[in-house]
Amino acid sequence: MSAITITRAGPLATLQDTGRFGMLAHGVSASGPMDRRAFHAAGALLGTAAPTGIEFTSAGLAFTAEGPLRIGCAGGQFRVSVNGNPREWPARIGLNESDVVEITPGPSGNYGYLRFNLECDIAPVLGSRSTNLAVGLGGWKGRALHIGDRLSFVDHAAATAASPVAAPAPGDGPVRVLWGLHADLFETAVRAAFVRTAFVVSQNLDRMGVRLTDTAGIFRTRPRLMLVSDAIVPGDIQILGDGTPTVLMRDHQPTGGYPRIATIVSADLDRFAQMRPGTEVRFQPVSLEHAR
Amino acid sequence: MAHGPAVTSLSPQTERNDPLIPTLLPLGDRAMLVRFSTGLSDTANRAAIGLARQLETDCPDGVEEIAPGLVSVLLRLSETADFGRLRGELMLRIGVESPDPPGAEHDIAIRFDGPDLDEVAERTRLARQDFIGHHNSRPLRVLATGFAPGFVYCGFHPQALIVPRREAVRPMVPAGTVLFAAGQTAIAATPVRTGWHVIGQTAFQNFDPAAQPPTRLRAGDTVRFMEAV
Repeated sequence: MSAITITRAGPLATLQDTGRFGMLAHGVSASGPMDRRAFHAAGALLGTAAPTGIEFTSAGLAFTAEGPLRIGCAGGQFRVSVNGNPREWPARIGLNESDVVEITPGPSGNYGYLRFNLECDIAPVLGSRSTNLAVGLGGWKGRALHIGDRLSFVDHAAATAASPVAAPAPGDGPVRVLWGLHADLFETAVRAAFVRTAFVVSQNLDRMGVRLTDTAGIFRTRPRLMLVSDAIVPGDIQILGDGTPTVLMRDHQPTGGYPRIATIVSADLDRFAQMRPGTEVRFQPVSLEHAR
Repeated sequence: MAHGPAVTSLSPQTERNDPLIPTLLPLGDRAMLVRFSTGLSDTANRAAIGLARQLETDCPDGVEEIAPGLVSVLLRLSETADFGRLRGELMLRIGVESPDPPGAEHDIAIRFDGPDLDEVAERTRLARQDFIGHHNSRPLRVLATGFAPGFVYCGFHPQALIVPRREAVRPMVPAGTVLFAAGQTAIAATPVRTGWHVIGQTAFQNFDPAAQPPTRLRAGDTVRFMEAV
């Protein structure tokens, strides 16, 4: 039986499939890849990939293979080597017994993906093998992968044909948003400043959310609002009580009570997820018709 | 502990007879929110639960998931869903009067030993045992599941039992913690951080990831609280 044993992992390397959909009414958000496009691209490299892959962070990943295994790697720009020999990124690699794969950070991106021709031998939880780190659910024992974890593989009966390759990620322009659930509670001047201002991706980012630095302090003087807790979707930009703008990501709380000024459009959320700390980000409101 | 300001916007409003006209809002480009109110009200909560139940049995094209909230219903949409057409279909259904859908009934025993129980009793000007008696005196409705897996909001308590949330957030409370604030009793089914008052603990478990469905309480169900013996 094929397997891999993790020999190095960042703090947030997790198993993910496309997500745990249909559980919002039970208070469980969908999780799934932070960069869906890259997750699919890694799978497309294999033609037919098993549904579950590994999402690793800018800390990279290393593992030793047992038995034959084919892998596809994509997302951001990482460096990958097999037994010390560098390969191109993204990569399609056939592995044999005792091969050592090293993935180290490259010039850009927060998340990379490994897809396999075989399925991870773990039980799905509520219909999905995605890890929800916020509540410790699913994936590998509900947690991130650690050194020494040995992940074995089985044939997957329902071979998922590679999803159609999504349109290429839009370039370096502003991140497109739709005005959010509570946009009308923000003064016109604050909304105008939100569009005019460059925010900076902070160090404080994970699968739940990305905090932005509001260098211009446009939300600093916001009065505290008491709102009825309402549904959250990935990409919502909420303003915390202390004025910190936070973009809610795949392991978001299913509902929340902080005001949300805007929501990043789904086509741009992958690109946003890959922005490293220190990156300047600007938001551009678009119409619903444009976003779809 | 500092006494927070009264949270008037969260006070349940009294019953009204005029039908609620909801606002239909896109939530990003892959979801729509049917919001019956911006404040918490009994009428809006009933309307949200009623619409969600109705849509579950007769789901419009393009809707992939339905999740009722406190005063709204979230519709997660497919990539190709037509917002305009969906808006029209929803407005037709919302106009239809429907009686409260029947819900299941649950008895839930609480051990009233939380660290904030005395403070809550004091704020409601009741002796500890009287507060417990009032708290359990009438059945409550499961208003919504949200915030965390299996976390339920139950309400509404009468005006005399309304206290605001705490100023400080407790780092983590365990599954089964019974919380109280804003005219509601909430039950945590997983460990959570909370700004609500901790009044007790229950053995009732509302989240089991190995079960299908994973939760036992559903929005619209009736719960009767009693003191654990």
